[in-house]
Order: sequence, then C-alpha cells, then structure tokens
Amino acid sequence: MIWVNSGTASLTQFNLKTANLQMSYFSIDSIKDRTFDAIVVGSGISGGWAAKELTGKGLRTLVLERGRNVQHVTDYPTTMMRPWEFPHLNQMPKEVKDANPIVSKCYAFNEDAAHFFVKDAEHPYVQEKPFDWIRGYQVGGKSLLWARQTQRWSQFDFEGPARDGFAVEWPINYNEIAPWYSYVEKFAGISGNKDGLPQLPDGEFLPPHEQSCVEKYFGQQMAKHYGGTRPIIIGRCAHLTKPNPIHFQQGRAQCQNRALCQRGCPYGGYFSSNATTIPWAMKSGKMTLKPDSVVHSIIYDEKLGKAAGVRVIDAKTNEAIEYYAKIIFVNAAALNTNLILLNSTSHRFPQGLGNDNGLMGKYIAFHNYRTSISGEYEGFLDTTSEGIRPNSSYIPRFRNLLKQETDFLRGYAAGFNSSRITFNDRSGMGEELKTSLAEKKYGNWRVGSHMMGETIPKETNFVALDPNLKDKWGIPQLRISVSYDDNDEKMVKDYHEQLTEMFTKAGFKNIQTHDVPNKAPGLDIHEMGGVRMGKDPKTSLLNNWNQLHACKNVFVTDGACMTSTATQNPSLTYMALTARAADYAVKQMKAKNL
Amino acid sequence: MQRRSALKSLTAAVGGLMSLPSWAQAWTPETVKGPTLLTMAEEDTLAEIVETIIPETSTPGAKSLKVHQFALRMINDCYGENAQKNLKKGLADTNSAAQQAYSKSFAACDGKQRLELLKKLADNADTKPFVSMIKNLTIQGYQNSEYVMVNIQKYNMAPGFYHGCVPVKK
Repeated sequence: MIWVNSGTASLTQFNLKTANLQMSYFSIDSIKDRTFDAIVVGSGISGGWAAKELTGKGLRTLVLERGRNVQHVTDYPTTMMRPWEFPHLNQMPKEVKDANPIVSKCYAFNEDAAHFFVKDAEHPYVQEKPFDWIRGYQVGGKSLLWARQTQRWSQFDFEGPARDGFAVEWPINYNEIAPWYSYVEKFAGISGNKDGLPQLPDGEFLPPHEQSCVEKYFGQQMAKHYGGTRPIIIGRCAHLTKPNPIHFQQGRAQCQNRALCQRGCPYGGYFSSNATTIPWAMKSGKMTLKPDSVVHSIIYDEKLGKAAGVRVIDAKTNEAIEYYAKIIFVNAAALNTNLILLNSTSHRFPQGLGNDNGLMGKYIAFHNYRTSISGEYEGFLDTTSEGIRPNSSYIPRFRNLLKQETDFLRGYAAGFNSSRITFNDRSGMGEELKTSLAEKKYGNWRVGSHMMGETIPKETNFVALDPNLKDKWGIPQLRISVSYDDNDEKMVKDYHEQLTEMFTKAGFKNIQTHDVPNKAPGLDIHEMGGVRMGKDPKTSLLNNWNQLHACKNVFVTDGACMTSTATQNPSLTYMALTARAADYAVKQMKAKNL
Repeated sequence: MQRRSALKSLTAAVGGLMSLPSWAQAWTPETVKGPTLLTMAEEDTLAEIVETIIPETSTPGAKSLKVHQFALRMINDCYGENAQKNLKKGLADTNSAAQQAYSKSFAACDGKQRLELLKKLADNADTKPFVSMIKNLTIQGYQNSEYVMVNIQKYNMAPGFYHGCVPVKK
C-alpha cells in the first residue's frame, strides 16, 4: 500500500493488500482539504473532551473514530423498548454467547446494548495471559456504556508512587488539576454530596442521590466503630439530578431515574460524548467528524522533528489516506493508544513514537474488581426503598491512607448497596400459583459491596505489537500480558477481613465473601498506563502536560497516560487532564512553540 | 425559560425516535426465531402446559399471553441442546402420562386432570427437570408479559424516582 502523502512526511511502502489509491489526492487542494489545526484520535470520553476544548478555542479539528457514527438519540434503537419487547427478556442468545466468550463476560452485554460492544471475532487480540478486553468502537466509544461513577483523585493518590516507591513519581499534584476537575464537572454535570473528605475531595456537585435507611445506618455504625475513618457516602456520578442552564444549552434534560443508561439516554440524563461534548463541538462549526476511520499510525516528520499527521484506513472502503495537523491528541482508549503509538515507527523512533526509553506499553495497570461481599440486615423491616437509583453508596479508600499499615501496598474503595429482598411464593401450580405471584413478600434487607482495588503498575504487565498477527487492515494485533500479583491477592484477603468486620459490627447477618481467583483482569474496563506521565524522559513517556517528551505536538490524555491507578473510577480524571492539556496546547500553539 | 428549553429538547429527543435506521430493528422476535424446534401438535401441548401452570381466571392466563412461545424461544435460542432434548422428551412424557391415566392426550384432558398430571410429573425424578424448566420459564414469561407488567405491576419507564426509606405498603 502506498500512502497518500504530502511530501513533507516520510513516504513509506506498506504491505497492505487493499490499497485503493486515488490520484486526485495528490493535488495541492486535496492536501489542503486534509490539513487541520488539530487531530483528535478517538471520540470516547477523553476524545470528546479534546474535540470540545480544541474547537472551543477556535481550532479546526478533525475527530477520527474507528467505529460507526452513533448520533445522540436517533442511534439508540433500544432506548425506549419496554422489557417485554426484548425477545429473550434481555438475555443474549446462546449462539451469540458461544461465538463471543470474551465480551459475553461483561455485565452489560445484553440484548439492549449488545450493538455498542465489539464482538470477539471482529477485532482479535492475543492474550499472552488471560485478559478480557472490552471495547466499544463507535462515535462516543464506551462513554455510552460506562458506569458513570465520577470521583476526584486526592493528593494521597497523586503522592502514591513516590511515597510507596513504585512506578514513577506523578509530575502533577492535586492542586494543579483541581481547577480542571471543577471545569469539567460543571459542564458534564456531576451529582454528589459535599462530604468534606481529604481522601475524596468535593466537587462542583448537582444534588446528591438519596441513601437508603440501611446505608445511612451503616454509615452511623462505621462512624461509631471507626471514628470517622471509614465514611459511607452516596456515590458521585455523572447524572443530571438537577440540570443547570449549561446542561439545557447542551440539549440535555433531567435524569429520569430509568437506569437504562447503557442503551444511550434520550434525555441526555447522564454524560456521554454523544449527548454532550460531540454535539457541542459540532455546534462550533470547527469540527470535522469522520467515523469509520481506523488510525494506523502517526506520521513523524524527520526534518521538522515533530508529528505531521496520521495515517488512516477507511474501515468501509479500505482506502488509505493521510491527514495533517499541527497538534495531535491520541485518545483511542488506553490499550489502543498504546497500539497506535507503538505502530508509529520512523527512522527517528524505530520502537514507536516517543519511545526512546523502551518503556512504551509497559507498566499497564487496572482495577481489581474480582471480589465482593454480601449480607442481610434484620432491622428496618417496616421500611423499604422505592423506585430506581442509577447510583449506589460508596466507601472511599481507608487502607494505608495516611501511612503504610498492611503487608500490601495501597488499598481499595468499595461500592455499597442495599435493598429489601422481595419474593413471591412459587411453590404451587395453577390458580394457587397465579394468586401467590401477585403477592409481593418482603424479606430482610440485602446488603452488598464490591471491591475496587488499586493495582501496582509493573514492567512485567505490558502490551506489545504481535510480530506476526495482523488485523484485517494490516495493523499488528495487540499482545496483552497482564495479570494479578501477590499484592492483589493480599488486598483481596484484607478486603474480605475488613468488610466482614465492618458488616459484623453493623449487625449484618449471613455474611458471605465471593471471590473468583481465576477471573481474568479486564472486566473492570479500567485498563491504564503504557504511556505514563512522569518528570524524567528516561523513565516516562509523557510530561506534566501530557505531551510526549520526545515529540511535543502529540498529546495523550486517555487512560494510557496514567502513572498509577488509585481506586477512583478514572473517567473524570481523563476529562480533567484532557481539558488541561488542550488549554496548554492551544497556548503553546499561539506562542508558536508547537 | 429553562423549563421550556428542557421540554423542547425532550420533545426533540423523543421525536427523533420516529426515524430509526434499518439496522435498529435488529432485535425482533421474527428475526431471532431460528428453526422451529417443535411440531404444531407439540407446541399446542406446551401451550396447554403453561396454561395449566398459570391459568386464565378473571385475568389472562399464560397461553393467551403467548408464554409458551416465549418458553420455546428461550429454549431454542438461549438454552443448550440438552434443554431442547429435555423439552421434546418432556412433552412426549406428558402425553403418555395423560394416555395412561385418562386414555386421551394432555390437551384433551380437563383442567383438573391436567393439574394432577403436572403435579405427578413434578414428583417423578425422571420428568421433574422438564416440569421445573417449563414452570420457571412460565413464571418468567408471565411476570414479564406486557399484560402483567402494565396492569398488575404498574410498569412505568419514566419519569422514575428513588426514595431511600419509605414505609412498606401493607
């Protein structure tokens, strides 16, 4: 394959089978048509933010998305379907499950949202160790499907690697990112309660969801037994509990508590790129959005010593085409960002763009979601919760917070949920059964919690390009070699002990821990790292502004940039890092430094 | 003003649903039905079994709510080969039990006879898995039918709400 080329970038022969070169591309006009101020690779949570920020600052921005277009509302085919309208009541047919053993493990891969997930055979990868890689290739990416929990990191989290001696020191601190958290929270719409916790800083909150009486009771009991060190708070989440004018301007309306978010929300009740940042960027008149555009690699201009643009393959026609810009934001989702950069080789960067130290693809980490605990409470039996809450309660990290106190590093946050057990007598048959099915009976309160553990980035957890296997466009497949370690095992044990103790102190009964030791990493869908930020170009890939140390006009602000993982759901931090980096990038462009 | 613009965007949002792209119709009962597992006669027997489990009273029973078709669809599409064999065999067993006890097919038996037959089959180790499977699917299909969800459970998609702590309704 010959790449359509401007002449300024290196002309390379590629061995793709399906080149379809159109001579018109060589004309000067064509090059001009394919030249923008900025290119954003990916349209998920962080790519959407890059698009909004860059267009908002006046940059003509090309947004490339490898998947199909998904327009807000019109492309949510299941969003208004009622339960009985799903032929299998939302369960996936066996044939689909058998053909898709990986994505079928994801809790949200059901009849109502299956069309937003990548099927196993469509985009193969190599599991050097078992890893369930869950992907959403479409405009909006996984922002349509995410769990919408949005907690700020605290200074305890940014200090983690330096204090505990793993990975490398973060090049930024909480105070530097705090204003950017505020900035993105106001626009996205984050619901929460101001809890005043140093380990989980308050944000710009819309009104919080309500806790159930058992959740409040659990909080009171924990305050009594642990003196305020183990608060039980309502989750902070990207739902418009009470929209502000800025949200109405986006065309969004109040969250309707349907909790059918994974289908796409016709009200724009939760934050997604599709409902929020992408239409906002579109409205600026500065964005060109190109779906079905698979980015092959980034073009490095050897003479100018910076990136010149990107090589793209049209997913439908297999045409190869190049686009050019002064700055490039890579927001392809953590592992695919690694893949693109590793595949961006040149004379200057034979191991991948900006990869002078050979660390690109290494120090991949994630969140350990493999264990949970359940119990029952026999109190408050004259009360119940009613309706649906697209949120749950939350237990911020309390382990090793102020100092090292266990035989493992870092700690875990946890969800906490409660509801009355309801059932009907199903023992009979005939009229007797019909009558008993209409009588809802109440059991105890059911309580449950799941662990969200910080994992330690290690050089041995890595992704790399497979030397032989390629995808259908000739792009190397990604090899994933990521697994749990001893620290994770100790943390699971501690979570079981501590939560059992907490549940016991609260008077909960029938306490049971659930662990799936052989559950592969990946289903947290929080893979991070590989292109980490750091102070020293010798030990990191990105600087404190998310710029590649060695190629300053390329920015990485998705999960790939993460130096460590903390315990918080990461998306809010990606949003803040993206807005901050975009602001910096535009200032640098104006100062003619880029 | 805010309220007005919210309502406007809401109307725009819901109005947009009128024009779905063709692929959006991907999940309809017709397109996922697949090969027919049962003969017409077998399907009739299944319909009478689900109707026996949840019969018509002053409100519709499982048969008129097409719960047998739901059960068949689930076994055909979502359950494995064993369940499909179990279904075939169970239907044959049901009819031979009816022949043995009343010298007629299950469908020809009256309501009382059918209920007795099913209870007997549920107590037999050989046929119990069949009865359990059909009973569970009947309950699932009935409880999630449009009739029951709308008229009995008062299903309402939106606007929803959440109250953390309310008295249990007696």
